[in-house]
Parts: sequence; structure tokens; C-alpha cells
Amino acid sequence: MSTRTSVDIREIEAFLYREARLLDELQLAEWLSLFTPDGIYWIPIDETQDIATHAALVYDDAARREERVYHLQHLSFPAQSPASRTMHVVSNVERLAPEAGSSDILVRSVQTIWELRAGDFTQIGLGKIRPLVGTVRHELEQTDDGLRIRRKTVLLIDRDMPQANLTFII
Amino acid sequence: MPATADLEFLSVPREPSTGDTGRAASLISETEHRFRVHTAAYTKAEVLELEQQHIFRRAWCYVGHESELTKAGDFKTGHIGDQPILVTRSEDGGIHVMLNRCPHRGAVLCREPGGNRRALICPYHAWTFAIDGRLVSVTGRDDASGYSEFFEAPEGLYRVPRIETYRGFVFATLDAKAPALLDSLGRAKILIDRKLNQSPNGTLTIRSKPYVGIYEGNWKFHAENIIDGYHFMYTHQSFVKLQNKFGDTTGDFGVHKGGSASEMKKIRTRGSVWGCEGGHILNQKPAIDTQEMLSGPFAEYYQSIEKLYGAEEFQWIFGSNAGCIFPNFGMIHNQIRTWRPIAPDKTEVRIYLYDLDGAPPAFNEGMLRSQERFYGPSGHGMPDDIEIFAANQQGLSASQLEWLILERGMAAEKPLGDGDIEGLPSSETGHRAFWRAWRRSLSSGSGQ
Ligand code: FES
Ligand SMILES: [Fe+2]
Repeated sequence: MSTRTSVDIREIEAFLYREARLLDELQLAEWLSLFTPDGIYWIPIDETQDIATHAALVYDDAARREERVYHLQHLSFPAQSPASRTMHVVSNVERLAPEAGSSDILVRSVQTIWELRAGDFTQIGLGKIRPLVGTVRHELEQTDDGLRIRRKTVLLIDRDMPQANLTFII
Repeated sequence: MPATADLEFLSVPREPSTGDTGRAASLISETEHRFRVHTAAYTKAEVLELEQQHIFRRAWCYVGHESELTKAGDFKTGHIGDQPILVTRSEDGGIHVMLNRCPHRGAVLCREPGGNRRALICPYHAWTFAIDGRLVSVTGRDDASGYSEFFEAPEGLYRVPRIETYRGFVFATLDAKAPALLDSLGRAKILIDRKLNQSPNGTLTIRSKPYVGIYEGNWKFHAENIIDGYHFMYTHQSFVKLQNKFGDTTGDFGVHKGGSASEMKKIRTRGSVWGCEGGHILNQKPAIDTQEMLSGPFAEYYQSIEKLYGAEEFQWIFGSNAGCIFPNFGMIHNQIRTWRPIAPDKTEVRIYLYDLDGAPPAFNEGMLRSQERFYGPSGHGMPDDIEIFAANQQGLSASQLEWLILERGMAAEKPLGDGDIEGLPSSETGHRAFWRAWRRSLSSGSGQ
């Protein structure tokens, strides 16, 4: 099969931009469809440790992603009242050599995610823009429907430091 | 010859209602049917200063777990109140708790949260301390510009005067005259026992790095909330709905029981709350599904615990036990919790998830994923609590209204002995015990 090597970096970039737009515009059902059924959305605290014995900030399989999206779209809860507005800035997109034995397309990008909870800006925690910064690794698969995410790993530069409210999708 | 500095002139000018230890008692208004706490107890810098002096410098504070320091040379940094500390393990297996400060001219010794060192070498003038804190060398000691024969070299790092370990939990206090740890824990010791008795070996291991959050609210909001049975169905209403919709398919692992909101509420209002004389609080409910446990996929494991402790105690061990050990240590589910004030309106919370030694790996993994789903910064529960702590602090800026109301369940309490009180699960019995211990510490100035 030559499909995977034929993927153009432009196509990969367009895919990352689309994902960023879906998250910023809260098109979360469509975001869910970007993953393969066995896809994983992972935000580790320490990516060098075994996930079976170590807690992550996020470790979502399909069921957990669906629950997360349902929570954000259909329920009201204090940590998202008011809701976060985000802006994902994607840059430094590079295609890396896949890991041994993997047929996935491995892409590294650098992302800055700006987040704001609006509302009564005179109050604690509201009205301030805060940045999240990290590298994002996408392990992509070329399917009949186009590129799909087999694994999205967000390596925040402060992943082992105190974290504030991360109840939106990164 | 020990010197004593006169620091009186450095004292912050204080408001009369909060400044004097004797007057801190007036921040609680208590009669037979009334229990109110003054806004200033959560908002004033002068109050935090008193808390640091009279609570955190006197109480037994949890400083770490033995599983974090397994090898000689292992260390971790931490705090007792506002005092930065080092906890170390020496070659002889001993655990040492010292201030993270060079006695020479003050440089901090360790800038990492933990690791392993052969010795502690000060980055400034390279005085060297053994891992147990002893001063082993002073660079250029005999130089012409060095120290004379009359030099009173410190013995080592400032040692926290008392350390006691209970079943792997390391506690320390800056008060040399504090009562023994177990006397101070009193009836609340059962919290640690029941959590550890879930392990066939009676021990636990911390593997994951902790979830650390810093919220913009007072530290006592967290102490109150970890055992607050009242808020769950409301603050976590969206989680209750998620639970009803997704059940165990997203990894709850049977931690939150009940298929509907009303069923969940019924389950959560079983059991009781203990408000202990020492300010400790326990919220405990017996397990409802012991038969499923004993015959389910982890039957062998559960049966081994039932064999050890008997059927009656088994349902308490695997019930829901949450507790707060005064002033800043707690346990809930499979986690150890600590919190510390940074400012009246700023608090750090750490959640250490742990494995039960000897439990099946799939069991530990299931619990881990369940805790991650609720308690992490992206979780579906704890971020709501954190948001509420900030919302509370925000609310208290409307200080024209002076008092907070903590009167739930005052009419439904009974004494347990030794000054401990039992109340109903969603009462504020525990909160009141915490605040009474707080008042006693601040007003007598003599700790717990
Ligand atoms: S301050 Fe540590 S050696 Fe001088
Ligand atoms: Fe809560």
C-alpha cells in the first residue's frame, strides 16, 4: 500500500486546522468522528510511565470521549458555567518517522491554546485569557473517509506542574 | 548560646476582632441551636497568620508516604504549613524531616520535587549535609579567612522535632511537646486502618505523580468539602446525570453506586459522620453490594479480605470512607489528599492516587481510571468542587453579610465519648468539630 506515503503535508496540516476549528467552534460531534473506533485521546502527566499503573490528566477511549462531549454539550456544571472559549493555534507541523512496526502517519505540531471564561469579568477566575502550550503528537491513519486519529497525545510543557480547570477539550 | 531576637516591632498591625488569639473565638457564634462562622475566618491575612502559628506549627501534619522514599538517598520536598521541608530516607532506613534551607546563609537545598541524592550540597558555598541532615563538611573551614576554633557550627539542617510513622504514613510536627500521633488521631485512626485493610498486605504504594491544583479560595473550604455529604447531589448534579446515562461503561468501576439520582441519594444518605474532638471528620457508609463483591470478578481478592476481618467489618472496609484529619490531610476512595494555604484566598491541593499492595493489578487499574475520570483537572467532578471554592471566596467579598451558616443536623447528634460526636451523613456535624478544634487552637494558643 502506498496510500500512507502519498499523504501530502498540506493535507495533514488541513486536517489539524480542521480539528482545531471544530474544537474552537464546539462542533464536538464532528470532532468525535475524527477518531478511529480504537482511537485514544491522551494528556499524560508523565508520558514515560505505563498508563496501566499511572494516572493521566486525560486518558479517553471512544466511550470516554463520547461522555466528555455529552457532558460539555448537554449538561450544565460549575466548572463550565460560564463555558470556556478557546482558540487553538497550530504551528511547526512536521511529519516524523513512525515508530517501528507502526503504519501510522506520525505528526508533531506545536500548539498554543488560548482559553477564556467570560461572564462577570470582575469575579475570581473569569475574564482572563490564559495560554496552554505544548506539543501535540497525532498518530493518523489513512482511511476510505480520509485521515483519522488513532492517537492524539498532548504534551503540555507544564504537564507535571499544578493544573487549573481543564474541563474543555484540548 | 541560643539567641532570641525581639521581633515584636515587625508584627502586622491587627484588627482587634481578628488579631488576638483570645479574640479568634469570637469568629464562631455557637449556641445550642446555632453555629455560625464569621466571614473574616476565611478572608483575613491576620487569621491565616494565626493559623500558621497556632495550627500548622503545632499539629501533626502528613508529610509523605514511605512508598515515595524506598531507597537510601530518596528525598521529596513538601511543606508543614508555610515551612518548606525535605523528607529523606537514609542508609539505615530512617526517615528524616528537615527544613529545606541551608543553615549557613539561607539557600534552598533542593529545587526538585523529589529524587535521589548521595548527599545534600548547598548550591551557594557548598556546605555538605548527609542525607539524614548532619553537616559533614564546611568548605574552606580552615582557611585564614575561615572559621576560628570557637566556631559553633550547626549540627546540621534544622530538624522538625517530631516524626511518627503510622502504617507507612509519615507525619511530623514542629511542636516538640505535641501529644503522640495516635493520641492526636484518636478515633479517626480507623480511617487509615480501613483504607489500608483493603490491601491483602495491609499496605499501599503511590506510583503516579499527584494531581496538583491551586485554587483561589480559602484552605478550610477544602477541609470542609472533602467530607461534605450535602453538596454531592447538587454540585455534582451533572456527574450524577452522566453516571445515570453511562453507568459503568466509561470506567466508574462501581465507585458511584445507584442507577438513578434517587437511588444514588438513598445510598449516599446511609451511614454516619463523626466529628471528633481533635477536629478530625469521618464520613462513612457501609457497602451495599458485598455479595456482588464476594462473587464477582475480584471474588478471590474480596474473600481474602473478608477472611482477615470478618463479614461485619468487611462491609465497612469496602464501604465509602472519606475523612479529614485536622488540619490538612484527607483520604477518599483510593487517594491521599493534602491541602495547604498559600494566602487567605489561595490554596494548593494535592491528590495522590495509590495502589493497594497485593490487590489484583486489574483492580488497581480500574480504580485508577475511575479516580482519573472524576478527580483530575479534566475530570467530571473535582473541577466543580474547585470552582465552588473560588465561588465561595468570591461570594465572601460581599462582607457586609457577616456570618456563614453551619447548622445542618444539630438536632440529630449523639455523643460517641471522648468529646467525639456522631451525626447524620449530610449534616454539618463534622464541619462543626473542625471549627471547634480550630477555635480551641487559635484561642488557647496550645494546639490540638
Ligand atoms: S548558604 Fe549554604 S553554604 Fe552558604
Ligand atoms: Fe465534591
